[in-house]
Amino acid sequence: MTDILRIDNLNKHFGRIKAVQSLNLEVKAGQVYGLLGPNGSGKTTTLGMILDVVAPSSGTFEWFGGKANVDSRKQIGAILETPCFYPYLNAIQNLKIIAHIKECSNHRIEEVLLQVGLLERKTDQFKAYSLGMKQRLSIAAALLSNPPVLILDEPTNGLDPQGIAEVRVLIQDIADQGKTIILASHLLDEVQKVCTHFCVLRKGEKLHEGPVSDILGETNAVELVSDNQNQLEGVLKDFKGAVDIHPEKDQLVLELADGISAADVNQYCFEKQIVLKKLVTRKNSLEEEFLKILKEHDQSI
Amino acid sequence: MIKAFKLEWLKLRHYKVFWIILSLYLLTLLVISSAGPFLLQWLKSQGADIEGLDPTLLPIYDFPDIWQNITWLAGVSKVLLSFVVVISVSNDISYNTLRQNIIDGISKKEYIMSKMMLILFLSILSTAFLFAAGVINGLIYSNVYGVSYILSELEFLAAYAYEIIIFCTMTFLLSLLIKKAGFVIVILFLYSLVFEPIITMNFLYNPYLKDTMAVYAPFLPVNAINSMIPVPFPKYILREIEDNVPLSAVLISTVWMGIYTFLISFILNKRDLK
Repeated sequence: MTDILRIDNLNKHFGRIKAVQSLNLEVKAGQVYGLLGPNGSGKTTTLGMILDVVAPSSGTFEWFGGKANVDSRKQIGAILETPCFYPYLNAIQNLKIIAHIKECSNHRIEEVLLQVGLLERKTDQFKAYSLGMKQRLSIAAALLSNPPVLILDEPTNGLDPQGIAEVRVLIQDIADQGKTIILASHLLDEVQKVCTHFCVLRKGEKLHEGPVSDILGETNAVELVSDNQNQLEGVLKDFKGAVDIHPEKDQLVLELADGISAADVNQYCFEKQIVLKKLVTRKNSLEEEFLKILKEHDQSI
Repeated sequence: MIKAFKLEWLKLRHYKVFWIILSLYLLTLLVISSAGPFLLQWLKSQGADIEGLDPTLLPIYDFPDIWQNITWLAGVSKVLLSFVVVISVSNDISYNTLRQNIIDGISKKEYIMSKMMLILFLSILSTAFLFAAGVINGLIYSNVYGVSYILSELEFLAAYAYEIIIFCTMTFLLSLLIKKAGFVIVILFLYSLVFEPIITMNFLYNPYLKDTMAVYAPFLPVNAINSMIPVPFPKYILREIEDNVPLSAVLISTVWMGIYTFLISFILNKRDLK
């Protein structure tokens, strides 16, 4: 796979604050790369540096295997934080400026406005838009030149639940076309749903990096509910495959030994004449993993 | 160049404030360039006489003197035209569209070029307008006719065009530094029309300063560009004619122009756009 973006030992200091520290990253063609981190972890600063609006204190980066930065940026559709447009111009006039800068034709303007659901408001001034509509317009602007690479910084900020769902579908569609997406977010759920790879930043340091699929998957924990929880707990104490058992709210959580599955638990309970109302194998979520990564690093400090 | 100009054109063509300020300035040029006869009438009604002469007989609209007279007057109001540059630059800063433009794919050099093209456009437009106003007024009031007279001393129009370019470039720099349009406008007004003229007067005429400071007066930035078109009116009283564009003022102004453009590109390349 070809390199889209390569970051080598990038640093940014604002006075004494180290916003980004010795960051190395590689994004390959076709990846949906999630940049995760709490607020103020250096996500936007990193994106600002690779888009040439923030000067790195040291280090280098390279787009498309060494293409000139200005030409590279024409191949990238990017939004950073808040939508930035001329408030006195309407959607079409604003997008014409972007088409002019990106040296692409105006014929896709209506198409992208339709894609983000703004076609009916195309002749309204930007200042009359709601926050959600502004956000949609910036997504339309990023899509305008049909770029092979998209950089989206908190793309669902300010959107209502329906808008969030639509943007997710949109991102998924774009990813399915084989485009490369770099997505910065603090919404872990969002990253889990759309990203193939992710890294975790905190205080400008990269703590973890890898494919999303590596950490999602089933755990050894099973959640159980029956009509009589006390009886269930008593019975399960004798179950050979259990490592640990503890009540959690109105359910029991059973840690299984390796090689024991939920089916074995069900079979065992059935034999003991207990009917289970709920039997769920817990899955890893990015959120748990994220918090675990942060915690591990807290301890190691 | 055309690409840079078109970028600016797309930003401003639907912007009402731009058209209002531009129209106001052109209106000001029209008023200034055609108000001479009324002004002289007024002077007469106030009982003024110039060495026993009726002021209305002053040949202020005679070709080619008219060029020095109206370009000097138009130069006084250039601060109004520079507001176009102020709003254009500070809009890009306050709306964060400067950053978005860069992200979308222009270099900082191309950005500077787009603003310089705007300045060039303003300069050419107002010079052409002033030329037209001068020709019309001259044809009405001048006692001297003939194409050769009309077309002589046009260097004052060139000096006026250059004056606009340099002053607007200074405005561009100030807008980048100060960022808030309102502040820039107040500072431009105060500095170019109040502070620097007072400083210049002090350098030249203050009995305690003039011996040491008078030599520095021509180097003050606004004074230097103003001096490219010498004050024309003393010639009617003293008959001592200074009717050339002084080369020293042009040189000093050009050095300032170099300093402004260097600082603009230095600031833009150094600054983090957030």
